[in-house]
Amino acid sequence: MAAPVPPGAPRPGANARQQSPHPNFNPNFQTNPNSLADNMQNMNLNRPHSMPNSGPRPSPFGQPPPFPQSSVTAGFPVASPPMSRPGPPPGMVGRPAVIPAGPLQSTLPANVPPGRPVGLPVSHPLPFGSRPPPASLSSSTGGAVLPSSAFPSSGVSSASAAPPPPARAPAQAPTMRSVLGSSAVSSPQTPPLPSASSPFPAMTQARPPPPGSPYGPQTWSMQPQQGTQPPHIPGSTHAQPPRMFGMPQQALPNQAMTNIPPALGQPGAPMSGSSKIDPNQIPRPIPNATPIVYETRHGNSANPPPPATSDYIVRDTGNCSPRYMRCTINQIPCTGDLLTTSAMQLALLVQPMALPHPSEDPIQVVDFGESGPVRCSRCKGYINPFMKFIDQGRKFICNLCGFTDDTPRDYHCNLGPDGRRRDADERPELCRGTVEFVASKEYMVRDPMPAVYFFLIDVSMNAVQTGATAAACSAINQVISDLPEGTRTQVGIATFDSTIHFYNLKRALQQPLMLIVPDIQDVYTPLETDVIVQLSECRQHLELLLENIPTMFQTSTTAESCFGAAIKAAFLAMKSIGGKLLVFQSVLPSVGIGALSSREAEGRTNISASEKEAHKLLQPADKILKTMAIEFAEYQVCVDVFVTTQTYVDIASISVIPRTTGGQVYYYYPFSAVSDPAKLYNDLRWNITRPQGFEAVMRVRCSQGIQVQDYSGNFCKRIPTDVDLAGIDCDKCILVTLKHDDKLQDGSECGFQCALLYTTVYGQRRIRVTNLSLPCTNMLSNLFRSADLDTQFTCFLKQAAIEIPTCPLLQVRDHVTNLCINILLSYRKFCATVSSTGQLILPEALKLLPLYTLALIKSRGLRNDGRIDDRSFWFNYVSSLSTPLAIPLVYPRMFAIHNVDTKDGDESVLPPTIPLSSEHVCDDGIYLLENGEDALIYFGSSVDSSILQQLFGFTSVDEVPTQFVMQQFSNPLSKNFNDVVNVIRQQRCSYLRFALCKKGDPSGMAFLSCMVEDKNANGPSYVEFLVHIHRQIQMKMS
Amino acid sequence: MSEMANMDPEGIDAVRMTWNVWPRTKVEASKCVIPLAASIAPIRPHTDIPMLPYAPLRCKTCSAVLNAFARVDFMAKIWICPFCYQRNHFPPHYAMISETNLPGELYPQYTTVQYALQSFPDPNNSNAPQLPPVFVFVLDTCMIEEELEFVKSAMKQAIGLLPEHALVGFVSFGTQVQVHELGFSDMSKVYVFRGSKEISREQVLEHLGLGSAGRRPTVGYPKVLHNGYANTGVNRFLLPASDCEYTLDTLLDELQTDQWPVQAGHRASRCTGVALSVSAGLLAACLPGTGARIIALVGGPCTEGPGTIVSKDLSEPVRSHKDLDKDAAPYFKKAVKFYDSLAKQLVSQGHVLDLFASALDQVGVAEMKVAVERTGGLVVLAESFGHSVFKDSFKRVFEDGEHSLGLCFNGMLEINCSKDIKIQGVIGPCTSLEKKGPNVADTVIGEGNTTAWKMCGLNKSTSLTVLFDLSSTERSNVPGAANSQFYLQFLTSYQDPEGKTMLRVTTVTRQWVDSTVSSEELLRGFDQETAAVVMARITSLKMETEEGFDATRWLDRNLIRLCSKFGDYRKDDPSSFTLNPCFSLFPQFMFNLRRSQFVQVFNNSPDETAYFRMLLNRENITNAAVMIQPSLISYSFNSLPQPALLDVASISADRILLLDSYFSIVVFHGMTIAQWRNMGYQNQPEHQAFAELLQAPQADAQMIIQERFPVPRLVVCDQHGSQARFLLAKLNPSATYNNSSDIAAGSDIIFTDDVSLQVFFEHLQRLAVQS
Repeated sequence: MAAPVPPGAPRPGANARQQSPHPNFNPNFQTNPNSLADNMQNMNLNRPHSMPNSGPRPSPFGQPPPFPQSSVTAGFPVASPPMSRPGPPPGMVGRPAVIPAGPLQSTLPANVPPGRPVGLPVSHPLPFGSRPPPASLSSSTGGAVLPSSAFPSSGVSSASAAPPPPARAPAQAPTMRSVLGSSAVSSPQTPPLPSASSPFPAMTQARPPPPGSPYGPQTWSMQPQQGTQPPHIPGSTHAQPPRMFGMPQQALPNQAMTNIPPALGQPGAPMSGSSKIDPNQIPRPIPNATPIVYETRHGNSANPPPPATSDYIVRDTGNCSPRYMRCTINQIPCTGDLLTTSAMQLALLVQPMALPHPSEDPIQVVDFGESGPVRCSRCKGYINPFMKFIDQGRKFICNLCGFTDDTPRDYHCNLGPDGRRRDADERPELCRGTVEFVASKEYMVRDPMPAVYFFLIDVSMNAVQTGATAAACSAINQVISDLPEGTRTQVGIATFDSTIHFYNLKRALQQPLMLIVPDIQDVYTPLETDVIVQLSECRQHLELLLENIPTMFQTSTTAESCFGAAIKAAFLAMKSIGGKLLVFQSVLPSVGIGALSSREAEGRTNISASEKEAHKLLQPADKILKTMAIEFAEYQVCVDVFVTTQTYVDIASISVIPRTTGGQVYYYYPFSAVSDPAKLYNDLRWNITRPQGFEAVMRVRCSQGIQVQDYSGNFCKRIPTDVDLAGIDCDKCILVTLKHDDKLQDGSECGFQCALLYTTVYGQRRIRVTNLSLPCTNMLSNLFRSADLDTQFTCFLKQAAIEIPTCPLLQVRDHVTNLCINILLSYRKFCATVSSTGQLILPEALKLLPLYTLALIKSRGLRNDGRIDDRSFWFNYVSSLSTPLAIPLVYPRMFAIHNVDTKDGDESVLPPTIPLSSEHVCDDGIYLLENGEDALIYFGSSVDSSILQQLFGFTSVDEVPTQFVMQQFSNPLSKNFNDVVNVIRQQRCSYLRFALCKKGDPSGMAFLSCMVEDKNANGPSYVEFLVHIHRQIQMKMS
Repeated sequence: MSEMANMDPEGIDAVRMTWNVWPRTKVEASKCVIPLAASIAPIRPHTDIPMLPYAPLRCKTCSAVLNAFARVDFMAKIWICPFCYQRNHFPPHYAMISETNLPGELYPQYTTVQYALQSFPDPNNSNAPQLPPVFVFVLDTCMIEEELEFVKSAMKQAIGLLPEHALVGFVSFGTQVQVHELGFSDMSKVYVFRGSKEISREQVLEHLGLGSAGRRPTVGYPKVLHNGYANTGVNRFLLPASDCEYTLDTLLDELQTDQWPVQAGHRASRCTGVALSVSAGLLAACLPGTGARIIALVGGPCTEGPGTIVSKDLSEPVRSHKDLDKDAAPYFKKAVKFYDSLAKQLVSQGHVLDLFASALDQVGVAEMKVAVERTGGLVVLAESFGHSVFKDSFKRVFEDGEHSLGLCFNGMLEINCSKDIKIQGVIGPCTSLEKKGPNVADTVIGEGNTTAWKMCGLNKSTSLTVLFDLSSTERSNVPGAANSQFYLQFLTSYQDPEGKTMLRVTTVTRQWVDSTVSSEELLRGFDQETAAVVMARITSLKMETEEGFDATRWLDRNLIRLCSKFGDYRKDDPSSFTLNPCFSLFPQFMFNLRRSQFVQVFNNSPDETAYFRMLLNRENITNAAVMIQPSLISYSFNSLPQPALLDVASISADRILLLDSYFSIVVFHGMTIAQWRNMGYQNQPEHQAFAELLQAPQADAQMIIQERFPVPRLVVCDQHGSQARFLLAKLNPSATYNNSSDIAAGSDIIFTDDVSLQVFFEHLQRLAVQS
């Protein structure tokens, strides 16, 4: 190949390789932007007139041309710089290592008298987002910045201002990182904004594509898009999106260590303490409104990811997108002792099929043909950008186990002067953090399974009478058209009460044939073949049947429900193929295999026993369902359960099935035939249309020195190293805890590789390989600086959820609090020794940890006043919850909606969030609180009746109905409100379950119990909690 | 043919006995060789039987029914029971009785009378009988498309023939059992039971939602029924034929062959056993006393679940007689045990199992025999559902009118007999009710240990063989005691096809004879035909129940003993041997019995043997005799059809022979006749006579076929044709390849080493006269 071509630039051959998109067809992603948009739009189905507003998110991204790889051809010879040499940056390590804490916090008090309880201005501690200085920066640089959006960040610019050649700019970023990695630098302590602007255009122009990225140009094609986004990216915040995300984060910790003045100068006088903290100054999450572009690696080192809850667009430059996998700490401690000292958790949150941002590049598919992907012969790790080729490319060293393998002959390629393979940038598997390999025969024990959907509907008396059956049938009927097209899609349907009713949907029959399986102790499938039929052959029968089912069972007086037997029977019908089993259950399963008793009521009548053993009710009643679930998983049957009920159904027991098979529980309590069918439909539709895979196996491999300790999530584990996922979809997240089994080398990188072997809905067998390589460090301060708050907290949350069924509640809460305290204590002890003991010092990266911890303690799962089922659902929901949704679950967002019409035209659709404190809830306001699953609308007692009329169509708070269906009225207020709701729905991929709350009502109390910053029966106020933590730290210090 | 039509050897009583005069002692009886037995056809219709619309009078001690042989004191209004000599007063409503005003049962010629036990339906509701008969069709779906079509159309036809009020249920099965809920109007609905698991009656009821009288209400809108079942829930499954005919037609149209996959080299998975259990369970939900039949249409062996007779692996053949003999049939005993318990359940419910098996291979009739026979069910074995043996037989079951089988339900037979007569048991389609009494013998043959038998199903031609013994207490001490007559009374209660309860009372009397004094009377009372049939039935029974039983030897020994006892001869002089005409046919019957399918079972499959024996046991004497010794009629020019010797010598080139061996009817054309026919002479007007000759045996064959159930197989063949074996197998091999020189021209020889009748007689004579 043409040697002179600079690395990183497109190679002549690159054009040829551009065909790759075609073979790379990935059904899950192929249609992604649009299908996503479509799905989201459905959220509005019940409100047709609001449709036009429904899709703000997709629209800005949907319009610009997608990112065809062809744009690569526009080569960038200009960007010749020697940038991509390996290892340029480390020189920086030599810089003086200053523990950042000391000077920083001392500088901060400059704003506020040290020791004084007066809080800092809110803006200071904030790491990013809407804090004023950046904003002002952006406004000043606004116009210029836009085109250069991709990389530079204000932080970089300040640091890099000195080095002249634009070409070096990219190198700066890594430099910065390494600086940070080693220790703090004093220089960037001031907000490093201003100077940056001038070099921008040049810099960006000159900047070569990031190392290892053949797709650099794509970054550019991004720009026009951004240009099309004005409504989205209001001028005032223009600087934000273009910022490289990692930068501010690095920059800020240096300067901004959150410094909470102690409650009191002295420990021991808590009461007065709270009064002296300004509640407005304590750390709170501030969302950033506009998307940031984030490159996963920069200058050959990992770039710390933006917060999981923020809006960002990923450029995969070697590491995987943080959506797929992120670590609790973005630097890996070299030893287990160091980790223990930090008191932090080392874990990965893996969401292998996470939904990408519509503007992100689809994952590339690589086909190695019959031989399958290249793998390390020892650890079986898959080829990835961090495998080092040596000996003229004839051998490669595995980054995971260190073994040296021979390069397969037909995969051989010479190395360039930089030591990289010359074809590295053309091969996605050598330059992308995430790729998908086409699985060869060796990865299949059988032909890839077709997409099978089996619907199982409760038709017992209660289910029919509450309208749950009708809602389920109607939802199914509507989603039939959303099932994957083609002959490979098969469906089946069954209903059950005290017996199980299958339906033969074969076309030859004039009408469906109902087949009843009456033996619910020892079930079987009533037909070998025709119970599950190709969709194309039975569509009419199916539709007819779904219309008939509610009336057919209308007069049924069978109160019993044989849930366990029914799923077993359905399983038997599906056993030979596998597939998705979608169960609609409405009452407590009372007969047949796995029948359950009304434990909750029994617990209530026998209070003395239940006090001590309350958590036992959160455990499965017996092992029968678990045994069944394991069998289901073995045969690749994934179960989702839609619980539409008015009563206790023992979710703790039922949920074992979906948890083990990679499914999930949907919970509609109390089910309302008025308001819930729409959500049921949307949930079902998303369940079916979201990107997903079948018969999957996942394994995470780590570099030597680290190993996987455990996996947790919704799956079945038969051997310690792998998790079996009968179904995996974009919403499912798996927590992978890690442990040291050896020392790591300081300055080296530790690699993580998640391999997911699965079958697409269109029947292709694929291996999705997700790689993350993070630097190792010996410095405790580095760990704190690179800690990932969202991930750490999600890890907390999931571990607490695991404990809930097995430990007394008090113990779980204490444990959670202690986790938080110990981290802060470690920081205080080892990284902030200089400061006065009278100060509560929080590491910048983790400054919200106390708030989230408090929120967690007050969350539904950790409260003991809740219903057993609510709590069971809560911790089951958590078990597969992704990081971006974990935070809002415990710390919901609250918006005022009585004044949504007053915003400026070009602002973000969402109004500003309001802290979760009743101080911020006015009597004349209407508030929307959402946690990703539920949404509460709270009416103050003196809301203006015209606002009520405009938004809801009634005029008095007294008329607030118990059930709510979103409507749009023809006024701007209502329109904006609908827009807000739709944006939230899109963000959450959830339709939201609305509840109306009224001050003075029990519903109002429910709303107020979400005000986590308030002091209430479930815990102290935020300020009190900080004081408590502070006191604990002080006690442990002394 | 003609003999059957003209003679009515059974008379009004339909009772035939091996001996019509009985020796007085047990010892003497045993010397008679042929056991004391009576063959009865309990409800055989006869134009002379009076119908009495009132309840019978019963003796207050032995509960025998007042009959023509009772001595009546008209003055005292007293009758003396001929069985126990109890004096019984006539009840008030008999006050009018006098010598000139006798009730029907006292007319001397009315030894058989029939009582209509139920009060006639009230006039308001005269055409709505209370308990309509129930027919549950149990259809095998493991068969090829073509067969299924045959059987479906047979079923449709049958349903069309059912009385409108008869209730119909439908169960289909293959790998699993599907109970069709015919009363569900929204869509076709079936309850599915697994084929591999034995299921109890209670479970079936519970699973069908029939437990505790419909505790579980129905789903949907079941059609309302106006009969006695409304509250049991079973009306969801059993509907009047008129209501469900359309539903069933549609259902049958859509019914497919079993969809479960069949592995290559394997038999279809067929759960006949469970299907029958489930059907029996379904019927258990009917009111007690309901007449119900399970009509099983089976197309192959049971290979799944209880009642399995063979594994699914095709490399393993279905058990043969040899396997049974060597105890090498691993499934047999278990299956028989299962069907035995099924039989018990059905009998306790009073329901019938009919078996229609059509397959080239065996289907397990041998195992299911117990359930069919104990319940008095019908059985038809054919090669295909398209074959006339099945098609026509099946149609006959449901046909009304002259050829109706007269299917009745819930029969119960009680036998009263004179003191000193003991009943050993009954051979035939019935079940012992274990009703002990003084007349029960110690030794049991067949269904014994009782004086009452249940016949869940019976029809006009059902026959039973009752075996008697004499009390071992010697009453010969009092020879010449007053009563030289003994009495037997057969009481049969049953539901007739209309659902009315009837009681038939047959009282017969025969004479005691002191055989030590005079064997002449005894001789004259011998019924050779009946004796032959009874011997055949006993032989069959012994072959089935006694291990290592050598039937041929046993028959030979008995025949020799009989001939020694009743023959006239000089000792050790075979040529002096003669037999009384009353016995003259018996050795030939025995000769043919030894050669018949009942004894020579190795030519047949166990299924066929079971089938033949069931029919042997349930047919009347005349028909059973034909099974043992077929009748042969010869047709030729210049003479009327005439009986021909059952001998190969009867074959002649210019004759047509009609062989009736009961199960098959063979029309055999001599060589010349066949040639003429092939040349088409019968179509030429000048050869009208030939056409008529050709036609005559066919017409006669059709007559036989019409009369008979199951419909026999008709074989039309030519001399030297391959089908001719059906005739040759039955003929006496008087001419074999060993002596082929001396046969008449146009006749035939049989390739066999079997002894001929002549040789058999020679040996018999020699052995009989041996001292």
